[in-house]
Amino acid sequence: MIQLEKIFKWVNSGANRVFLLQDINLEIEKGEFVSIMGPSGSGKSTLLNVIGMLDGFDEGKYTFQGEPVHQLKEKQKSALYKKHIGFVFQAYHLIDELTVYENIETPLLYQDLKSSERKARVADILDRFNIVGKKDLFPAQLSGGQQQLVGIARALVAQPQLILADEPTGNLNSKQGEEIMELFKQLNKEGVTIIQVTHSEKNATYGSKVIELLDGRIVNRH
Amino acid sequence: MVSNHFKIAWRNLVRNKSFSLINIGGLSVGIAASLLLYMVVSYELSYNQFFPNKENIYQIVTKSVDEGGEDYTPGVPLPALEAFRLGVPEVKIAPLIGNGGCQISLPDENGTIHPDKKFMQDIYFTDAELFNVLQFKWLSGSPEILNEPNTIVLTKKEAEKHFSSWQNALNKTIHINNQVTANIGGVLEDIPLNSDFPLYYLISYATYKNNPKIFGYTDQWGSNSSDNHLYMSIPVGTSVADIAQKLNAVSTPRYNEIDQQEKREHLLLPLKEMHYEERYGTFGDYTISKNTLMMLSLIGVFILVMACINFINLSTAQAVNRSKEIGIRKVLGSHRFNIFWQLLSETSLIVLCSIIIALLLVKPVLPHIETLVGITEKLPLFTINNIVYLLLTGVIVSFIAGSYPAFVIAGFKPVSALKGKQKAAGKAGMRRGLVVLQFVISQVLIIGTLIAVLQMNMIKKSDLGFNKEAILVVYTKADSAVLSRQPAYKHELEKIPGVQSISFNSDVPSSQSNSSTNFAFDHKPDEKFSLYYKSADENYFSTFQIDFVAGRAYNANDSAKAVVVNETLVKMLGLNSAEEVIGKNIRMGGSRWLTITGVVKDFTTNTLKENIKPLLLGPVKRSYRNAALKISSNNLPATKNAVIAEWNKIFPEYVANDYWLDERITRFYQQEDQLTLLYKIFSGIAIFLSCLGLYGLISFTTVQKRKEVGIRKVLGASVGSILYLFSKEITLLIIVALAISIPVAWWISKEWLTIFATKITISWTIFLVAAIASIGIAWLTISIRSLKAATSNPVKSLRDE
Repeated sequence: MIQLEKIFKWVNSGANRVFLLQDINLEIEKGEFVSIMGPSGSGKSTLLNVIGMLDGFDEGKYTFQGEPVHQLKEKQKSALYKKHIGFVFQAYHLIDELTVYENIETPLLYQDLKSSERKARVADILDRFNIVGKKDLFPAQLSGGQQQLVGIARALVAQPQLILADEPTGNLNSKQGEEIMELFKQLNKEGVTIIQVTHSEKNATYGSKVIELLDGRIVNRH
Repeated sequence: MVSNHFKIAWRNLVRNKSFSLINIGGLSVGIAASLLLYMVVSYELSYNQFFPNKENIYQIVTKSVDEGGEDYTPGVPLPALEAFRLGVPEVKIAPLIGNGGCQISLPDENGTIHPDKKFMQDIYFTDAELFNVLQFKWLSGSPEILNEPNTIVLTKKEAEKHFSSWQNALNKTIHINNQVTANIGGVLEDIPLNSDFPLYYLISYATYKNNPKIFGYTDQWGSNSSDNHLYMSIPVGTSVADIAQKLNAVSTPRYNEIDQQEKREHLLLPLKEMHYEERYGTFGDYTISKNTLMMLSLIGVFILVMACINFINLSTAQAVNRSKEIGIRKVLGSHRFNIFWQLLSETSLIVLCSIIIALLLVKPVLPHIETLVGITEKLPLFTINNIVYLLLTGVIVSFIAGSYPAFVIAGFKPVSALKGKQKAAGKAGMRRGLVVLQFVISQVLIIGTLIAVLQMNMIKKSDLGFNKEAILVVYTKADSAVLSRQPAYKHELEKIPGVQSISFNSDVPSSQSNSSTNFAFDHKPDEKFSLYYKSADENYFSTFQIDFVAGRAYNANDSAKAVVVNETLVKMLGLNSAEEVIGKNIRMGGSRWLTITGVVKDFTTNTLKENIKPLLLGPVKRSYRNAALKISSNNLPATKNAVIAEWNKIFPEYVANDYWLDERITRFYQQEDQLTLLYKIFSGIAIFLSCLGLYGLISFTTVQKRKEVGIRKVLGASVGSILYLFSKEITLLIIVALAISIPVAWWISKEWLTIFATKITISWTIFLVAAIASIGIAWLTISIRSLKAATSNPVKSLRDE
């Protein structure tokens, strides 16, 4: 599904070149549950952003489902991730001005689905996540765990094949965190590929594969 | 999708109340102001547009050139009508002779005239041809009536006013000036108010010609009056230049016969330019120059631009708060394009709200503005034109105000936006440029208004060379009946305790009317400039407190040949001292020689817009239409009542017309006064908008400098030093703006001041005051917003980083 070959990413700071990612070679198959680990500043989030096509890279080849991402234009990349990738964030990143229902509906608006189709999909997801009763609430009226649940629901509503999660439980207490990880595990079983960035060894155990980063390099994979 | 955009836009509005308030407030004030100006300007532009053949109508006007320069008048000598009709038969030419202030009396069935059935009225003489040129509509009767002597036609409104219904007015009798009786032969439909033709009383031209003593008809080519108009309709496809040439071929030989110093030429003024051509003047209340209309339109556009700039600055400042939402949307698959349109639809929602509020603002203000600019008509608010204007303005403003912020915000990089690394949006240079532009506009308006106000104050306070206070003028037509009773009236007036002095005359010292003639001095040939004259009895000089620089006033013992002239005449004759003319002879036109007994100190002979004319004052009793009374100032109303009561006893069949001289003189500058007030109001709005804009900019800077302010405070900066940090840049921008606005405002004001003969000098203090005001207002606005930033807890702003 994902092939990264010799990916380099850097920023120039004065005369020095600071590498954010160095020589990343990575292959992720459909249906995998990968955890990216490493200390702060090791490049975990950068790698996730590169995979999610939110961020570019300076060298190397990235193939997503056979598409050479490094050769695509901004617009094509946007169309590609819009269709295939769902994002989950540590800080949930719900739109404060929108209700739960509207937050979940937003990605579908950008996919030009018919109104009836959107309604059906959002209703399905609300039902599945057991949050029908909260659909008219605004994010500020929900607990952290509930907000992240909505965040995941929103990531899933467009039926992506890949979910990218950047420390999804980082802002949650341990019980809420466990529930979210169980949910991921369940989704993975249903065939959704998941890549998560995490600090927690425990969370990493939910996954099938762990990649450890240090100073932008992959130092370990198991 | 669109409904979704509007929904979010609405929630954003509600959530950011203060921003929304400033945005909507600024835009609605801007839109309201521009709508008002649009309505005023388009009303002025609608003048005379209702004639079906408006493209083919021209007025024949006169340009005369002599040593004194060029002179333009709408008048044409009376015999020209006949001559032009004969000489240029392919065009239709109609006369329209104004006769200001005739007395109309309406007798009842028994022939008695009730006091409320006599009044002063401007009447117009014309014939049937008028309706082939200016196609007014008839309710009853037909144009041919006006070819008969002693017939009169009223408009519906006038007929209804005096005869319960317009049908009742038909065939009734009307007395004009107590001397001529005319029959009401028809009724016209009301003439639109946006016309320069207030032809409420039309009397047949034959009546005019048959009563030369009363109405002043003359077949002299040498005599002309600005009230003698000729209108013409030209067949489609005829060359206007050809017609003008043919007309002049008829008239030029006649003028040459008279052999005057001046060369006269007839020009054709298109109907569509009449209302805007200030050189001629119309029968309507006023003309307004295209420059003034342009100025008003520009102010409207400027105010809208300022409102847009405010919006842009506030939106880009506020954009930081929206970076998270934009980041999420992009991550969720929104294209830049989607976000651009989302933000634009938000702007249009704000603009829509502003339009609605603008309408609510305009509704109560509109009548005041109408009064202010002298529009007598009630302007409807919801016309197709206004709605189209608002919609167009809405779309344009949405695009201008919305697209730059939308473009910038839509360009946010999702990752940095999500991480909160998105600082302020947009280029600082762009914003600075916009702010400078805004200051330039408001400063030009402030300086321009300041100069206009100073000029008008000077006009009001300037020494006219005579005393205009507490002078009551009672006037009527100077016919034989009136003249014969004047001594009796004077006798009665002298008994009224409040009346200090009485003078009979043809004209007060300062007026808008002129009488002039060619003249000769000291038995030499005619001079190459015209002499202006007023008739006045010997009390004129004491009543108006006019001083003499040489000689003396004529008195009752002098013969009627004794006259007085003014200093300007002495100067224009090329003489060094006023003494030189005393005892010399002067001759007006071709009449007898008169003797100069004195020279008066120059007083303002017309309005202060005109130069002082070379003037002669002489006791010509037959033209004494005014009684000017100096009243002791302690009981003006009671004295006035007594004066009017005497009038009604002695002249029962004449309407007592009166005015206070000082009020009349103030009215000379009514249009300038009104415009000055209008400028004051709109520069006030501009100042308000620029304050809002500044507030926006400072909000922006405080967001941008949050961290800097936090660090500085931790390092021990005082509140004052942080306020300085914020005001430094703005002060610089204001100075840049002043460098642009001062020359621009100076130039505009100089142009405007050319309409006055007496004008203020534009001194540097005006600019200094404007600069101080501009900077002061700015600092005040800045401190409101930046004080909040300067006093905020640094821990809070630094923690976010």
